[in-house]
Amino acid sequence: MAIDISINLGSVKLKNPLMTASGTCGYVDELDDFMDINQLGGYITKSISMQPRMGNDVPRIVETDSGMLNAIGLANIGVEKFIAEKVPMMERYKTPFFVNIAGREIEDYVAVADKLSQCKQIAGMELNISCPNVKQGGITFGTDPAVVKQITCEVKKVVRDKILIVKLTPNVTNISTIAKVAVDNGADALSLINTFTAMVIDIETRKPVLANRTGGLSGPAIRPIAVYLVNKVYNEVAKPANIPLIGGGGIRTASDALEFIIAGATAVTIGTASFINPDCASKIPAGIKDYCQRHNISSIAELIGSLK
Amino acid sequence: MEHKTPKKGIFNASVLQNRAFSDKYSRITFELEKKAKTIFSKAAAGQFAEIEVAGLALPAQNSIPQQLTDVSQRNVILRRPFSFADVVTGKDSVVVEILYAVVGAATIRMKTLKTGDKVSVIGPLGNGFSLPDKKLAILVAGGMGAPPLVHLSSIIKSQCPDTEIVVFVGTKSVSDLAFFEVKADKFDKKKITLGEFDRHKIKAHISTDDGSAGSKGFVTEILKQWLKENKPDINNTIMYACGPEPMLRASAAVSSEFKIPCQVSLERRMACGTGLCQGCAVKCIDKKTNTEFYKLCCKDGPVFWSDEVVWQ
Repeated sequence: MAIDISINLGSVKLKNPLMTASGTCGYVDELDDFMDINQLGGYITKSISMQPRMGNDVPRIVETDSGMLNAIGLANIGVEKFIAEKVPMMERYKTPFFVNIAGREIEDYVAVADKLSQCKQIAGMELNISCPNVKQGGITFGTDPAVVKQITCEVKKVVRDKILIVKLTPNVTNISTIAKVAVDNGADALSLINTFTAMVIDIETRKPVLANRTGGLSGPAIRPIAVYLVNKVYNEVAKPANIPLIGGGGIRTASDALEFIIAGATAVTIGTASFINPDCASKIPAGIKDYCQRHNISSIAELIGSLK
Repeated sequence: MEHKTPKKGIFNASVLQNRAFSDKYSRITFELEKKAKTIFSKAAAGQFAEIEVAGLALPAQNSIPQQLTDVSQRNVILRRPFSFADVVTGKDSVVVEILYAVVGAATIRMKTLKTGDKVSVIGPLGNGFSLPDKKLAILVAGGMGAPPLVHLSSIIKSQCPDTEIVVFVGTKSVSDLAFFEVKADKFDKKKITLGEFDRHKIKAHISTDDGSAGSKGFVTEILKQWLKENKPDINNTIMYACGPEPMLRASAAVSSEFKIPCQVSLERRMACGTGLCQGCAVKCIDKKTNTEFYKLCCKDGPVFWSDEVVWQ
């Protein structure tokens, strides 16, 4: 039986639902030694800001039970260097690239999006309004509906033919409120979830392990919560508005990915698992096809949001 | 699509041997699958591998040292980075030797690996030590910083036969010497020979914090003493150092004082080892502009020039 696991993310067609999660896969070619990037459905780059950012002091990461905390602080080379050095590399691949954008002020996001919208190699942009490790921008924007409205509107005006994805933080009382504001103001897709604000303490020094004090918790520890939030946003916002969701949080295997798809995700992202097995994302599509074969499903569309 | 030759990869490896050789240290050797041979045969001293330990069982409860009973309860999900103590290329395969200290949730699990067990290895990672074009190479090892310098010494011996090697080793105590072949003199227990260097006729100067082996004090003190007494030609000398950060900082100070270039191998918490997570930042200085910036320990290092690092 021919099984179609291709999906549509707004106007962009992906050969399968597997994507890299921003901040876990580098800019463009960092996974080349481990897998054929063309096997991915889509590639979401590391965050890019207007000016280069050094990032936070170390320690930036710490392992915890079934997960890890990171406080990288959006370290990146800046949009000018990204466009000059990294964007041309995208032409080597058939996989669509989506650039995650960050900023300190709304104007920064707009300026970066405007510059990137002129790059034909880019299929879309992902608004990072959910990073928990920066003092300006990031999560401070993603928790305020008024700011989410303004930033989505402003960026939408400059993205031209690129699709606009808004990445949501789980660190809010009701994620659907923010999701609805993003969708009502021009988001073509939503990506969820970013990491949970968390802390690990060194009991010997009685200080937080991370230099930033807090970090974002990711990995298998957050997966059941992420599945729940994807399902909630799917039912309350995405399904009524017919907007695709990109689900992620602790996915390591095909069965993990399928949970998200059944919950309502059209695409799924691999994040922390790439640190452990950098070829992880390329192995999952085969597992999804096997599942479809066993369940007599000819198109992945039948699975999306099929939770009983 | 243009294809570049991969310089690293993810490979299966079989455990050949995993044996404790002291109260603190174990030595594990892996044979890598055949397709790893081309890449790993070029591995430089100072490079490292990320080993998957998440799926390994804990030893039986009565085999867990008391000081690790708490930490051993932690789950492990990330790989762990280990420098090479040796990489031996055979006709069909490559064998990698790693020395490890049992200090936490991951290394206590590694104790359970036995001959024939399969593990996943990513490597070779990072940039290793560059080989000397000098007459004298001074190796400075602190604690668990010894294995990559043992590897370096054997590579220098085989590839730079005109370079003389002098080694300085410092540890807290005699039991902390991370060497497979530690021999004490029959008549003077403090007089220690390290087989790894002795077989290449390399003189090793040892110091311990408690005076239980060699001189009492820090390794950088005996190094300074030796430099003052021997006055090597600084234009024809290079230092290589690996060990805890305070020792590396002190080595960098010696390098600066005596104007001898020095490469240091740093350690950082790493989630991936492959440059993806950006967790292992090392603050460096651009000497031309006097501005600070970060490099990544896993990708740009772990070996750096001592004068490019901003020592905390």
